Amino acid sequence: MVAKAKRTKRKLRASALIAATAAAVLALTACGGGSEPKSADGKVELRFSWWGGDKRAQLTQEAIKAFEAENPNITVKAEFGDWSGYWDKLATQVAANDAPDIIQMDEKYITEYSTRGALLDLSKYKIDTSKLDEAALNAGKGEKGLTGIAAGINAATILANPAVFQAAGVALPDDKTWTWEDFERIAAEVTAKSPKGTYGAAAYGTDEASLGVWLRQNGKSLYTQDGKLGFEPSDIKGYWEFLKDMSEKKAVPSASEIVEAEAAPLDQSGLATGKNGMAFWWSNQLPALEKAAGGELQILRFPSKTGKADDAGLWYKASQFWSASSRTKHPEEAAKFIDFLTNNVKAGEILLADRGVYPNSDVREAIAPKLAKADVKVVDFIGAIKDELGEAPAAPPKGAGAIQEIIKRYTSEVMFNRLSAEEAGKKAVDEMKSAIS
Amino acid sequence: MSAIGELSSMTRRKGPMTKEEKKANGRDNKAAYVFLLPWLLGLAVITVGPMLMSLYLSFTDYNLLQPPEWVGLDNFVRMFGDARLHNSLRVTFTYVLVGVPLQLAVALVIALVLDKGLRGLPFYRSIFYLPSLLGGSVAVAILWKQIFGTTGLVNQVLAMIGIEGPGWISDPNTALGSIILLHVWTFGSPMIIFLAGLRQIPVMYYEAAKVDGATTLQQFWRITLPMLSPIIFFNLVLQIIGSFQSFTQAFIVSGGNGGPSDSTMFFTLYLYQKGFGQFDMGYASAMAWFLLVIIGVFTAINFIASKYWVFYDD
Repeated sequence: MVAKAKRTKRKLRASALIAATAAAVLALTACGGGSEPKSADGKVELRFSWWGGDKRAQLTQEAIKAFEAENPNITVKAEFGDWSGYWDKLATQVAANDAPDIIQMDEKYITEYSTRGALLDLSKYKIDTSKLDEAALNAGKGEKGLTGIAAGINAATILANPAVFQAAGVALPDDKTWTWEDFERIAAEVTAKSPKGTYGAAAYGTDEASLGVWLRQNGKSLYTQDGKLGFEPSDIKGYWEFLKDMSEKKAVPSASEIVEAEAAPLDQSGLATGKNGMAFWWSNQLPALEKAAGGELQILRFPSKTGKADDAGLWYKASQFWSASSRTKHPEEAAKFIDFLTNNVKAGEILLADRGVYPNSDVREAIAPKLAKADVKVVDFIGAIKDELGEAPAAPPKGAGAIQEIIKRYTSEVMFNRLSAEEAGKKAVDEMKSAIS
Repeated sequence: MSAIGELSSMTRRKGPMTKEEKKANGRDNKAAYVFLLPWLLGLAVITVGPMLMSLYLSFTDYNLLQPPEWVGLDNFVRMFGDARLHNSLRVTFTYVLVGVPLQLAVALVIALVLDKGLRGLPFYRSIFYLPSLLGGSVAVAILWKQIFGTTGLVNQVLAMIGIEGPGWISDPNTALGSIILLHVWTFGSPMIIFLAGLRQIPVMYYEAAKVDGATTLQQFWRITLPMLSPIIFFNLVLQIIGSFQSFTQAFIVSGGNGGPSDSTMFFTLYLYQKGFGQFDMGYASAMAWFLLVIIGVFTAINFIASKYWVFYDD
């Protein structure tokens, strides 16, 4: 009896040991992921991450398939998500030495990542840049070489929903001659003639693009060429005072409504749901917004102080960059994929204008007949403002990723009367200075 | 408490162990460790390891992309001059000091009502417990945002009686209050514990009090509260520790930025922003350890104060 009991006990113990070890091994292997080296059959797997909505995800997946068809020994694994979570995730991945091989980058963060050695110098690999627009190419150059290749060209715009104007019986503005006063007056008129809850315009003050325009029209800039802040508290004061004035005249929504609108994704934004007559967006977002709104939208130039389009101070922005991780195990293959996205007409025919106007002039021409109506509008607008552009703005310095949040926060402080525009200007500039120092 | 005492006296042995017994004991211990191994590994890899790492990082300047650099106490010194951190402390303390007592009071009142022996008690108990299960979740936080929005349910109801409500979540004056309300709403788990505690109070006390002509209120103050005080204490400690660390509700309701104008910028949320948003992981680690100290101090105060108001019946 006793002996038997002992035996079962020992057996039990042995199996417990095996189970425990198995569990531990499983747990450990689960942690130790990361990109694997080339497998025996020469197959390479690349990871590629981007931010964006459903439409972009669909197009990009198609482009990946086209690439894989041409390069049967490379597979590209997609990782995508919303803008808001994208940067937290990327920072964590890079810190954990688990960065994706190909990274969709934004100008706000590219200096941050590249000066800290996280991005590959793409000029050392086989990527043809001869057909790229010079300004777009230069935007990806920094002290660590060419760490990003522009995926598209963009401009800051105001998009208008003609349906809202029509319902209110107000004519669309002439964007070649309008001033900020016109903007306020027209928006207030639309609000007054629309049902409750509909406003003539969405508020600015939740991003740096509109501040950039405002500063440029006043002879200043967000950043200087040597990576400092390009403006003083007094310059940003007027930006908020005017916003407040517009809110009081109901040209734009109330403080609370502005805060709520911030959180809405593109598909549920005021412009897409017909709650705003006009709103501030990047030009490449028009097709996605038209799809969400279920109707046509119109692209407008920003108003100016003088009523001359030449003084609107617009500029071409690299909408996004293709970057590669400096720690990728397959730099050649990653470069090959970026080259495909940048220069291959097949990729262009799939991606069209979703990430902005193609910076490669050959691809741009080749895909022109394939463009949808909405894309054509974007391309035409980018072409139309070519001669009106102001000086190219300085690249955002390291730490620029924090600026938007600061603008947003102090916009709230002003709109809720917690700080005067003047005090907010001082505090915001102090915070911005320490963020990018 | 007494149960643990009984357990320990049960296993306590008289006289020294024999060699044979010692051996058997050692074998049993080994077996126990083998069974514990997965958990111990988890503890080491998932809890202790990262904690030690963060302690080290709190003395460094670490931007996530480059190796950390030792800066000594710099991060801790910086906290003294960080106005946004001070604001986040103010927000967090308000949340804890208002939210926890309110939540416990609601939990106690509901528990008292349920304890009266309603028909269908298990049903009501489940219904009241439900928010506790849901309250911490992302889905409910999103729902909360809708209900308290400018055109949300609350304002629609208010509009019926002619009041134009503010945007509860999007107005800096009411945003924190809305999140505190969400916290109070999740009173289920302390309520269940209170209910269990109420069941433990011997009926004879109440019977004796009734014979002496005590009113219901007197019974509550003189019998229920003192007898329940260990349970209240337990709930208080747990809820305070938990509330200091709450993150999800504020993160979701404010869209991750602690807005409007930092009015819902909890300490944990600011920590997260510093670490992952602004590439300041050294500072964020230092903040985490500072939070640990705050919670430690509060728990210590709780335990010291408990000597004066918690009544143990043994």
